[in-house]
Amino acid sequence: MGITLEGVNYTYQKGTPFEGKALFDIDLTIADGSYTAFIGHTGSGKSTIMQLLNGLNVPTQGTVYVDDMAITAGSKNKDIKLVRKKVGLVFQFPESQLFEETVLKDVAFGPQNFGVSKERAEELAREKLAMVGISEEFFDKNPFELSGGQMRRVAIAGILAMEPNILVLDEPTAGLDPKGRRELMTLFKELHQSGMTIVLVTHLMDDVADYADYVNVLETGKLILSGKPSDIFQNVDLLESKQLGVPKITKFAQNLRKRGFQLERLPITTEEFVEVLKHG
Amino acid sequence: MDKLILGRYIPGNSLIHRLDPRSKLLAMVLYIIIIFWANNLVTNLLMLAFTLVVILLSQVKLSFFINGVKPMIGIILFTTIFQMLFTQGGEIILQIWIIRITSFGLSQAALIFMRFLLIILFSTLLTLTTTPLSLADAVESLLKPFEVFKVPAHEIGLMLSLSLRFVPTLMDDTTRIMNAQRARGVDFGEGNLVQKVKSIIPILIPLFASSFKRADALAIAMEARGYQGGDGRTKYRRLKWTLKDNLALLSVIALGALLFFLKNP
Repeated sequence: MGITLEGVNYTYQKGTPFEGKALFDIDLTIADGSYTAFIGHTGSGKSTIMQLLNGLNVPTQGTVYVDDMAITAGSKNKDIKLVRKKVGLVFQFPESQLFEETVLKDVAFGPQNFGVSKERAEELAREKLAMVGISEEFFDKNPFELSGGQMRRVAIAGILAMEPNILVLDEPTAGLDPKGRRELMTLFKELHQSGMTIVLVTHLMDDVADYADYVNVLETGKLILSGKPSDIFQNVDLLESKQLGVPKITKFAQNLRKRGFQLERLPITTEEFVEVLKHG
Repeated sequence: MDKLILGRYIPGNSLIHRLDPRSKLLAMVLYIIIIFWANNLVTNLLMLAFTLVVILLSQVKLSFFINGVKPMIGIILFTTIFQMLFTQGGEIILQIWIIRITSFGLSQAALIFMRFLLIILFSTLLTLTTTPLSLADAVESLLKPFEVFKVPAHEIGLMLSLSLRFVPTLMDDTTRIMNAQRARGVDFGEGNLVQKVKSIIPILIPLFASSFKRADALAIAMEARGYQGGDGRTKYRRLKWTLKDNLALLSVIALGALLFFLKNP
């Protein structure tokens, strides 16, 4: 199950003078229960792929399979809506989607669009707000009165309340302070451990190394590398030539190797590096 | 949105493109005044001929103008038919039950139709051949003399160019917010009217919120760069009134004079 892209091409504004091709023959699989990361430069097609995963865009050519549902160029909106329930999409700066009078109502908005009763939706909202660390005293506040970090959490709770099986995150920690960042990344890790499939679009290589178990590298609309982070990050020079970089500790280890330190494989996390130093 | 040609600029280097935006704006105002003198066949043909000549001079393809009229055709026809049915007088041409079409009503309807058509053609010409920014400059410059009456000319010009500048940004914001809400299960443009109107709220409120935030940030950024109003401010793009601008205005005035003598009293 999970999500599979087969021969997917995407052209935006087709048939107008502004036509442009964003994705070329993408084949990839996001396994059920995996923590898959997408990395790539601006304009590499990351955002386009994200919107293909839950049917906001339909492929111009090829097929996107979400579980057993297929999305093609001719898919109807009604069928796609089922996909949107399964695949929760957290956009960059999701706080800009808040609009209700109270925090609780805003979080309960999503599930109600998928036919959940108002009572059940509020129950879900309370549960998910607690999960993202928003305490009860904020439930009846206007979301616009909250701080930026709190708004972000409320918006993420709004997606979680739809109870998706797959959570797609587009740079979810952009603009947050280090503490807020760590807390959110820990939340996503816990969600993953409880069985949710996580898709993370990021340009923070350390996050990829610390959390993801699979990574896809995109460049100008093409998939150029994919595999386990520990394998992908061995290609330090290639990734650096694509302006993507590698985790800090990997770069450090590579510098050590250049000066004659014996290292068979480059570690991608600090823990791994400590292990190597201890046991050789 | 792609269909709306009004307000879109087509780059070019024709005589019309090179006119000072002020003379074009003034010509537009004059044109709208004198069009009310076109109340018979000769005067209308004269107006049409003048408009077509100017369109030819602009070297912009005629299809752009047809596309400019298209989205308005509904309103034009509605008004025309209204005029035809509710203006009474002259001989009765057709009578069905209480609906009576008279010769006076018919000519009045034709007049209204021409008026709409000509004004849309001419204003489309203005926006197709003038960049929005130079139009804003023209407004500012034309309002300058009224500053003695406390008209804030510079501020009005600035407001115009700022709002024009932010049209594409707002469009991007709208697309982004719509996508975010669609991901939360909102169906736009589906269901009955009440549902359709309700689905607009989740776009409008975030859009307002982000616009206010943006306006605040812009104001601070402008002040940080030393902006303090129009006094003593120089311009990078300077407007230049030349002989051809005099000629352009004169031709519209001449047309007006001609119409004044040929119109029905």
